[in-house]
Amino acid sequence: MERLPAGKPVATLLATLCSEHLQGKDEVVRLAMIALLAGGHILVEDLPGLGKTTIALALAGVTGLSFGRVQCTSDLLPSDITGLSVFKRETGTFSFMPGPIFNNIVLLDEINRAMPRTQSAMLEAMEEHRVTVEGVTHPLPGPFMVFATQNPSDQSGTFPLPESQLDRFLICTGIGYPPEELERAIIAGGGIRERIPGIVPLITPEQLLDARTVVAQDIYLSDKVVAYIHRLVLATRTDPQIQTGLSTRAAISLAQAARAAAFLKGRDFVAPDDVREIAPAVCSHRLVLRTGLSGQDQGALLRKIIAAIPVPLA
Amino acid sequence: MITSSRFSSLLALVIALTGIAPIFFWIERFPQLVVVAALLIGLQQQWRGEWQITNRQFNLALVPVFIWYLLQYSRSNPIQPVVSVLVIMLAARLIGEKSVRNLLQINLLALICLASRSLYDLSPVFLLWLAVMMLLLPVSLVMLTFAGQNSTLLLGRRELTRLVVAALLITAATLPATALLFPVLPRTAFPMWQFLAAPETGSPGMSDRVEPGSSANIGTSRTLAFRAELPRQPQPPYWRGTVFNRMTGNRWVRDAERSTDRVTPTGTRISLTIYPEPSSSLILITLDAPFGIDSARTRMMPDLVYELVRPPGKRFSYTVQAATDGLLRSKDLPRQLEQYLQVPAGLQNAFVQQGAEISKKGRTSADRLQLVEELFSRGGYRYSRQDLPTGPDALYRFFFETRQGHCEFYASSAALLLRLAGVPSRLVGGYLGGEYNEIGGYYLVTEDLAHVWVEVYLDGKGWQRFDPSRFAVNAGAVWQEPARATLGMRLRYLLDALDYRWNRAVVTYDFERQAEQVRLAARKLKDFEQGLSWKQLIWAGGMVIVIAAVWFLKRRIRLLHSPEQRLIRQLYRLLSKRYGRSVPVQELGLFELAAATGDPLVQQFADLYGAAVYHDRRLNPEELRQLRRLLQQLARAQQRP
Repeated sequence: MERLPAGKPVATLLATLCSEHLQGKDEVVRLAMIALLAGGHILVEDLPGLGKTTIALALAGVTGLSFGRVQCTSDLLPSDITGLSVFKRETGTFSFMPGPIFNNIVLLDEINRAMPRTQSAMLEAMEEHRVTVEGVTHPLPGPFMVFATQNPSDQSGTFPLPESQLDRFLICTGIGYPPEELERAIIAGGGIRERIPGIVPLITPEQLLDARTVVAQDIYLSDKVVAYIHRLVLATRTDPQIQTGLSTRAAISLAQAARAAAFLKGRDFVAPDDVREIAPAVCSHRLVLRTGLSGQDQGALLRKIIAAIPVPLA
Repeated sequence: MITSSRFSSLLALVIALTGIAPIFFWIERFPQLVVVAALLIGLQQQWRGEWQITNRQFNLALVPVFIWYLLQYSRSNPIQPVVSVLVIMLAARLIGEKSVRNLLQINLLALICLASRSLYDLSPVFLLWLAVMMLLLPVSLVMLTFAGQNSTLLLGRRELTRLVVAALLITAATLPATALLFPVLPRTAFPMWQFLAAPETGSPGMSDRVEPGSSANIGTSRTLAFRAELPRQPQPPYWRGTVFNRMTGNRWVRDAERSTDRVTPTGTRISLTIYPEPSSSLILITLDAPFGIDSARTRMMPDLVYELVRPPGKRFSYTVQAATDGLLRSKDLPRQLEQYLQVPAGLQNAFVQQGAEISKKGRTSADRLQLVEELFSRGGYRYSRQDLPTGPDALYRFFFETRQGHCEFYASSAALLLRLAGVPSRLVGGYLGGEYNEIGGYYLVTEDLAHVWVEVYLDGKGWQRFDPSRFAVNAGAVWQEPARATLGMRLRYLLDALDYRWNRAVVTYDFERQAEQVRLAARKLKDFEQGLSWKQLIWAGGMVIVIAAVWFLKRRIRLLHSPEQRLIRQLYRLLSKRYGRSVPVQELGLFELAAATGDPLVQQFADLYGAAVYHDRRLNPEELRQLRRLLQQLARAQQRP
C-alpha cells in the first residue's frame, strides 16, 4: 500500500461501504467505485426493488458528494434535467436555474423510458461534462458520474438505448438478488433507505479527485497488458458470432477501468488479471451480436473469448 | 454407442482372458476352475449389471486361500503358489464390482499373470500374447481415465476409433524404448520352472553307452535335439557326438582317450552353426567330421569328440568347421591299437568263427571291411525298433537268428566282427539326417534320429566311416526324406523357423554377437557407399544437417527461456499438481490464482513478480532469489498438505 498513499482512504471507504451499508452488493459497489475513479458512468440493468437507488444514494453519502435524481418518463424534457432560465421579476433578468444534472452523482432512473431527444441531451452532458443552455455553457461540477438504471423486463413504451449511447457508459452491470441469509436479514431489519441521510462522508471530494489523478497518471499500464487488451479487442472483431466488435473507445475504457481496479487493489500497475476481471462489465454491453444470436448472453461469450487468449505472464 | 464404463469393463474382461490364457494349462487345477468360474460369473454380472457381494467381503474370503498358498510355498516349489495366488486374485476382481479402481487392478493383475508365463516357458508364443496385451492395455487405460471422469459418457464409433488410435500411438511410441532396453535388461535362457524342477526324462536319444538288447522296444520321441544352420546337404548328414571304444559284454562304453594321434578330416570344408536344445549332456554335437569349433570352455578329444568343461547354464550356440567325406586321415597306425581290437570275454563261438573266417579271406583291412559289408548286405537284415532280442546273447540272436534290430545292433555286431577279424574299429554315437527347414535354412534334428555307426581304421588311409545300418533291406524306407513337403509340414516348418528365430534373436541374445552383426553391417554399408553417387550423399547430408539444425534450435529456444518464464512455469506446475482440477490453474492469471488458492505464499509471489513484470522490467537478482525461495516453500508446503 505504501506505493499508493491516495489509495488507502478509498480502499477503506469501499470496505466500509460494502460491509456496513450495502451488504451483499460488493460487486456493484466496486464497479460503481471503479466508474467513479475512472471518470466514467455506470448503467445498472436489473429488476426494480433490488437497491439500485440505494446504492447510488449510499455512494454519494459516503463520499460526501452531492446527489441529484431524475426519474425518466416519456414526457421528460431535456430542460427538466439540465435546468432552464427563469425570469426574475425583482431584478428583471433571466437567471439560470440548474437542473438535477448539476450534481456530482446523478441517478437517472429508468433511463430507457425517456425520449431519444432527452436521452441524447443527457448523454451529451455525460460525454462533454458540460451543459449548454440558451447559448450559455455551464460546466458540470468536479467529480461527475451518472448512475443510470434500466429495467430489462418491462419493455413496453420504452426507447432502448442505441449502441452508440450504450458505448458512453464505462460499465454496465446487473445487481442480482442478495445471498439467502442476507436477504433474510434485510427482510427482518428493513431496508437502509432511512439510514442513508445519516451516513457520514469518509473522504472529501478533494481526496477523491486526488485518487482520480493517481488512477489516470500513476497506475502503470505495461506494454504486455496493452498488448493483451489489444488482442482481446481484435478477438472480438474476428469472432464469428459478433457483428460489431469492440471500438477503440471501448479499449480505452477497458484500460481506464483496469487502472481503477488495480488502484482499488492497492497496486500501482495493471495486471492482466484486472483486465480479465473488469472486461465483462466494461465490454459486454458494447458487443453487437449477429442477428439470430441476439438472445445470447454477451457476458458469457466475452468470457469465452477471454479464456481463449493466453494471459501474458513473463 | 457404448458407455465408457461398460466399454472398459468389457476391455478388462478381454485383458483378463489375455492374461490367463497363456498360463492356463500350466497352473494347478483349483485356480483353473476358480478363474473359469470367475470369468463366467463376471460376464453374467456384467450382463445384469449388479453385484451381490462387496469387494470387502471378497477380500476377506481370500485371506484363508492366501494363507494356504503361503504354506505351500517352498524353495522347491516357488512358482505354483505365487501364480495360483495371482490367478485367484484376478478371479476375485473379475467377480467383484467393476469400479475404476477394480478395473485398473484387473489390468495390472492380468499383465502380471501374462508375465508369469515366462516362469514356465520361453516360447515365442509369449511374444504373441504380449503383443495382444500391449495393444489392449493402453486402450483400456485411456478408457479408464474417461470412465473415471464420467462413467456414463457415451462413445460413438468415431470417438472410439480416435481413442483406440491414440492408445495405439502410445504403444508405438514405447517401441523405441523397448529396443533400447532389450540389450540391457538381464534375461534367462531357461524358464524358472524348468530350471528348478527339471524333469529327469529318459530320452531315447544319444546316450553315454551303447547297449543293444537292453529293452525289447525303443520308443520314438520327436523331441528336438538341436538345430544346425548350414546349406542343404546332398546326403543325410552324420552328426558326430561321442565315440565308444571299449566293449564289455553287450555294452559299448567310452574310455577316456589318451592317445595323441593326429587326424584330419578330408573333403571340402563347410561351416555351420549349431543351436542345441538345453540338456544335461556335456557333449557337443558336430558334423562328422569336425576340424574344430569356436566355443570357449570346451575340450577336444583326439577322436574328435568335444565336451564342455561345465554345464552351460543357458542356451548357447557354436560354429563348427567340418568336412563330410567320412574319412579321418591318419598316417600312422593308432598308438593304442590293441584298445581298438579288444573284444569281451565269453563271446559266442559263432562270432569268433565268423571273425576268423573274415580275417582268413581278406588280406588287407579294406578287403575285410568289404567282407563284413557283404555279410550285412546279403544277410537280409531288417531295421526295426520293435521285437528286439534281449538278454546277454541279444547280439548273437540278432546277427544269426532274428536279423532284425536297430542301429545299435548293426553297429555293435559290425564293430565286433571287424575287431575279431583284426581290423581296428570303434562306434560313433550321434545323429543321422534331419528335416531340412527351407524357410529357416537349417536342419532340424530330433532325438529319434539318434544313430550309431562304426569307424574302421584302414591301413594307410585312416579312420573310415562305415554304417552297417545302411545295408538293412528296409534302409531306404527308414532314412529316406519325404519327397515333397505337405501343407501341414510347411506350416510346421514355418512355426519352427519362427521359434528358431526367437531363440536366436531373443533367448540366446548375445550382446557380443549383435555388436559383431553391427560391425558387419557397417562394413557392408561401407562397400555399399562406394557405389553411391555424390548427389545422394549430398541429399542425405543435407537432411541430416536440417534435422540437426531443427534439434539445435529447439534446444536453444528452451535454453533461451528467461528466468521469469522458468519461475512462472514452475509455479504453475506446482499449483496444478496441488490443486488438480479444483482450480483451473492454467487458465488463471497470477493474481487470480492468489485469490483462488487463498495461499499467502502465492499472493506474495504474485505481488513480487507482478510488480516487476507488469512494470516492464526484468527481475533483479534479489527478487529472483526471493521468488525462488517462495517456490521452495510452496513445494515444501505441498509435500505435507
